[in-house]
Amino acid sequence: MNSEEYLQHREGLTTSHHDWSMIQVGKLVEGQTVVKVIDPNSYKGLTLVLPLPTCHSDANSSVEDACEVLLKHGISSAPVYDAQRNTYTGMFDYSDMMSYILLSLKKMDVPAEDQTIGMRELIERTNNSQNVPVKMISVAVMDPTGNLIGILSQSFVLDYLANHLSEFPQLQPVMQQSVEQLGLSGSKVLSVNGEAQVLDALLLMSKHSVTSLAVLDEQGVLLGNISMTDIQHIMKDLRSSWLWLSCFKFISNIRRKRGVETGEDQYPVMDVNLKSTFGYTIAKLQATKVHRLWVANDSGLVEGVVSLTDVFRVLSSLLDS
Amino acid sequence: MGSDLDRQIQTLLQCKIITEAEVKELCLKAREILVEESNVQRVDAPVTVCGDIHGQFHDLKKLFEVGGECPKTNYLFMGDFVDRGHHSVETFLLLLALKVRYPDRITLIRGNHESRQITKVYGFYDECFQKFGSANVWRYCCEIFDYLSLSAIIDDRIFCVHGGLSPSINTLDQIRTIDRMQEVPHNGAMCDLLWSDPDPDSCQGWGLSPRGAGFLFGESVAKPFLHNNGLELIARAHQLVMEGYKLMFDDTVVTVWSAPNYCYRCGNVAAILEIDSQLNKSYTIFRDSERNSLNSRMTPQREGPPDYFL
Repeated sequence: MNSEEYLQHREGLTTSHHDWSMIQVGKLVEGQTVVKVIDPNSYKGLTLVLPLPTCHSDANSSVEDACEVLLKHGISSAPVYDAQRNTYTGMFDYSDMMSYILLSLKKMDVPAEDQTIGMRELIERTNNSQNVPVKMISVAVMDPTGNLIGILSQSFVLDYLANHLSEFPQLQPVMQQSVEQLGLSGSKVLSVNGEAQVLDALLLMSKHSVTSLAVLDEQGVLLGNISMTDIQHIMKDLRSSWLWLSCFKFISNIRRKRGVETGEDQYPVMDVNLKSTFGYTIAKLQATKVHRLWVANDSGLVEGVVSLTDVFRVLSSLLDS
Repeated sequence: MGSDLDRQIQTLLQCKIITEAEVKELCLKAREILVEESNVQRVDAPVTVCGDIHGQFHDLKKLFEVGGECPKTNYLFMGDFVDRGHHSVETFLLLLALKVRYPDRITLIRGNHESRQITKVYGFYDECFQKFGSANVWRYCCEIFDYLSLSAIIDDRIFCVHGGLSPSINTLDQIRTIDRMQEVPHNGAMCDLLWSDPDPDSCQGWGLSPRGAGFLFGESVAKPFLHNNGLELIARAHQLVMEGYKLMFDDTVVTVWSAPNYCYRCGNVAAILEIDSQLNKSYTIFRDSERNSLNSRMTPQREGPPDYFL
């Protein structure tokens, strides 16, 4: 929107929001604490700025240390701050790091006995001087003086919308439409067979610049989902040997682990039907806290996917009309 | 066959497996009994109600020590006999053999883990393959799972189900109309009964479940259901409870969990709910068997499915 359009779109003084597009982002990131981790070596004086819920002391750390901090706090991306130019230059994305490691791994011939080495060592071994590409999946929220006050993630915004949906009647019509009607199915879905190795799945994700793949059986029936965030589980416990497991075994291990930690087991497949409504899909995304739901037909065959990005694409198209 | 069955029970009580052919025959016999049972199986008090076992065989034996041997004590097990523990095979086959031997003294209802899809992920399939060298025993057991009843009712007053309630179900009669003899569907009433959870924090009636199947239900849903069906209590399992059992919604819903030190590491206690002939309820707590805790301290590797969590 240009500034003229913005002025016309003002909500005015109000104590309750009626226009969902006018919610201030600052409000959404209240409660986040921003802390800096200095990493002079690999990033040439650049720092990673991490939104952490608790205090964390600055550390003169290597890439390995930085990765450990990210993993420990379950953060998959962080803005990169250039102290010399006093500006934010982009986002360090966790999956970028993995791509870089994987490509190096595949090029290397890792003998079987080394397949159990810790991830720290793995990173050290693959630490060539290679540019890690940056891409945006989160938005840094700044205050008027240019200080970073928080990170706005898609999950955050979705959570807010889902909780306040009843306050925005203009969204009701789109909520009633089916996933099929909104064009969220029918496109080719990237997938991997359950018996393929995790390493191959990750390389496929990297090659196609996606963060997730459907895991299918021989008949094409959906078995589950493998994503870049699952890599956190490998790296968290420093078990690189999982890279060589079959995808089905790997995602089963993740499910089993999670079930013991939370005391409740989840359904292995996170999906909606072609005929499910958009509103139901959003509610399920919020309830299950997953980043995407596969769209399956009545036979369990996958026909599409609805990610958080797709949800926001649908919503922002409403703004344009 | 009677003496054969008794011999098989003795074998299983020692945590030893019977042959594949014996499993097949046992399942055929079990099917004849289970097919006659209702989706809401009537059970007479006194009875002892138990929650998830999850293949923790030695803890099941401890349960029998604490609650009394079957058939001297009547039992109702609320599902999740398999997956996660190292002895899902022995656990389920023992319970099934007891059911065939004493059909009126033990009732088995279906849990969400009594499913082909779930057992492939959570360990039972792997254990069957490892102990028998093929998937046949797993297939026979999964067919039996399809015949297990969905719920039970004790003296018309206490309703027992593995998971919880469903927005599609207001009366027990509606449960009776379900075609249960199939793999657990991904959604719908039958799925909900096995997957739902009560939500003590709920301020609305129903919510989508974080599990990705079933629903969360609040007090405002549970109380009318109890009232409309003339019930005084809903007993269910499905969720780990550190203290073994947990009462909620003014003591109208109770979660009973019968796998102590779950996965050999959670440190929880287990519980059973003993109901006498006057429908008085008492909860008995028990800890994991010494045999289990000894095993987990001593051996990093043992028979059974691979333990990624050790």
